[in-house]
Amino acid sequence: MTLRDLLLKERPAAGYGFAYMDRPSKREVRRALLKAVCIPGHQVPFASREMPVARGWGSGGLQVTLSVLTPEDTLKVIDQGADDSMNAIAIRELVQATTNVKTTTDAREATLIQTRHRIPEDELHEGQVMVFQVPIADPLRIVDSRPSVTRRLHAERDYAPVWLYLYEDLVQVGHSSFTHSYPVEVEGGYVMSPTPIPRHDVDRLDRAPFLSLFGAGREAIVYAVPPYTRVRPLVFSDRPFERERMTVPCALCGSADTYLVEDEGHGQTRMVCSDTDHCRRRREEACR
Amino acid sequence: MTSILEVVDVSVRYGVGCERCAPADGPARCPVCGSVWACRGLSFDVDSGDVMGIVGESGSGKSTALACANLDLVPLSGRVRLLGEDVTGIGGARRRELRAEALGIVCQTPAQGLDLDLTAGGNVVSRMLAAGARGYEALRRRASELVQATELPLERMDAVTSTFSGGMQQRVQVARALATRPPILLLDEPTSGLDVSVQVRLLDLLRRIQLETQVAMLVVSHDLGVIRMLADRLLVMRQGRIVERGLTDQLLNDPRHPYTQLLVSSQLS
Repeated sequence: MTLRDLLLKERPAAGYGFAYMDRPSKREVRRALLKAVCIPGHQVPFASREMPVARGWGSGGLQVTLSVLTPEDTLKVIDQGADDSMNAIAIRELVQATTNVKTTTDAREATLIQTRHRIPEDELHEGQVMVFQVPIADPLRIVDSRPSVTRRLHAERDYAPVWLYLYEDLVQVGHSSFTHSYPVEVEGGYVMSPTPIPRHDVDRLDRAPFLSLFGAGREAIVYAVPPYTRVRPLVFSDRPFERERMTVPCALCGSADTYLVEDEGHGQTRMVCSDTDHCRRRREEACR
Repeated sequence: MTSILEVVDVSVRYGVGCERCAPADGPARCPVCGSVWACRGLSFDVDSGDVMGIVGESGSGKSTALACANLDLVPLSGRVRLLGEDVTGIGGARRRELRAEALGIVCQTPAQGLDLDLTAGGNVVSRMLAAGARGYEALRRRASELVQATELPLERMDAVTSTFSGGMQQRVQVARALATRPPILLLDEPTSGLDVSVQVRLLDLLRRIQLETQVAMLVVSHDLGVIRMLADRLLVMRQGRIVERGLTDQLLNDPRHPYTQLLVSSQLS
């Protein structure tokens, strides 16, 4: 019998409390999250537990989701913008099986959205919680791989090494080579990795009405951006922050202002919306 | 003239120390506990526009003195003042700030003072970034200014520093040290690793920069030729103590202390 069968046999799954994790573990995560919210952008270590997903497959985001979820919540889970990819389905079913909360694909209806590397295209509102799965929590990893060093740099707000990295990047590549995880400064203080969201989404974090929680299970780190917090990408004062340029509209819904990804279906490569639900609703509206 | 750097009665000990350590005229290495007194009651100051030299043999404490000035090392006793501010034992953000804005160092080998994986320009602007500069064009302008001032080929500004020759890397160090227009440069054996013709050109460069910018310098070297060419005033160190001090020309032409006499007479010419 697989774990999935076991979990789906009875709802909420027999033998597990509400939301899979035991209460002290959830409390531990919530305590770390409270600290993270109080110090925006600061990386807070927490006692990361083993999850029924492999570390690096959303175990951090999952622990955050399970720790803050209440029975009244409505859950949406996306993987690169898609509700129907394997990772999103596995996580959604696990959470659903152990909490029995409502699930949705509509970002506007969800109260909690667990995401891997995208922010939904819909306008989000106050009271919503975004939970990001984080593969690499420390934005200073690019300048020094030793946590003992990067912790000190963060503590002293010594971000000159990141700026130097950005300078060298511009000189050697000709433009900034970050395709994702563009480092941002949170409320004029800590520098933070906005997880591998594309540049297209970085602005969405700035003074966003929603609460952003970031969980890195493998690194055992959480961090947060409270609502209406300033989030600014690190760019030189005389250089613009460049977003991805979409050269074609979405092949499905025709949208020209959303983030597109390559799709290799139907024997050809085409560009389609990464946010599948938003794209679907656009097409339906167009039909009507 | 205002004092840029004041070193007052600084002592540095490597080792645990004991009660019988370092009698005023004893050896630098304690025969009882084995501690080494790298500096013993060192006092000197460097005024603005001043070039101070320190000579002495290996192990005489001159590099330790420089490390104290560069805020790398906290002295056991005594004070270090920079631009009138007591910076003894300072750390963290303030030390970083002072290093970025008030001090420029040229180390003996480029690998100590530079990140050889970065471009030459990157090495230069890193100090400006540390000092808070955030405008890309301004960084580029200042870096190319410095590259030209240090007689490096401008077209190599964006080349990775490890592809440079030793002499060119030393020039990058000088450009980097000057980037934020610090009031004082610390030079630790700046020409030691270079062949003689390259040495002369680097010394010419340093002299020209000194004349043009009136930057104060503290030059540590075991090479009397370097000292003669750069320094106005000179300290002779031996076993952690200053044994003689004075104007460079006077001191080298008429050495009083037996050790200085030995040093001068040992010079190849």
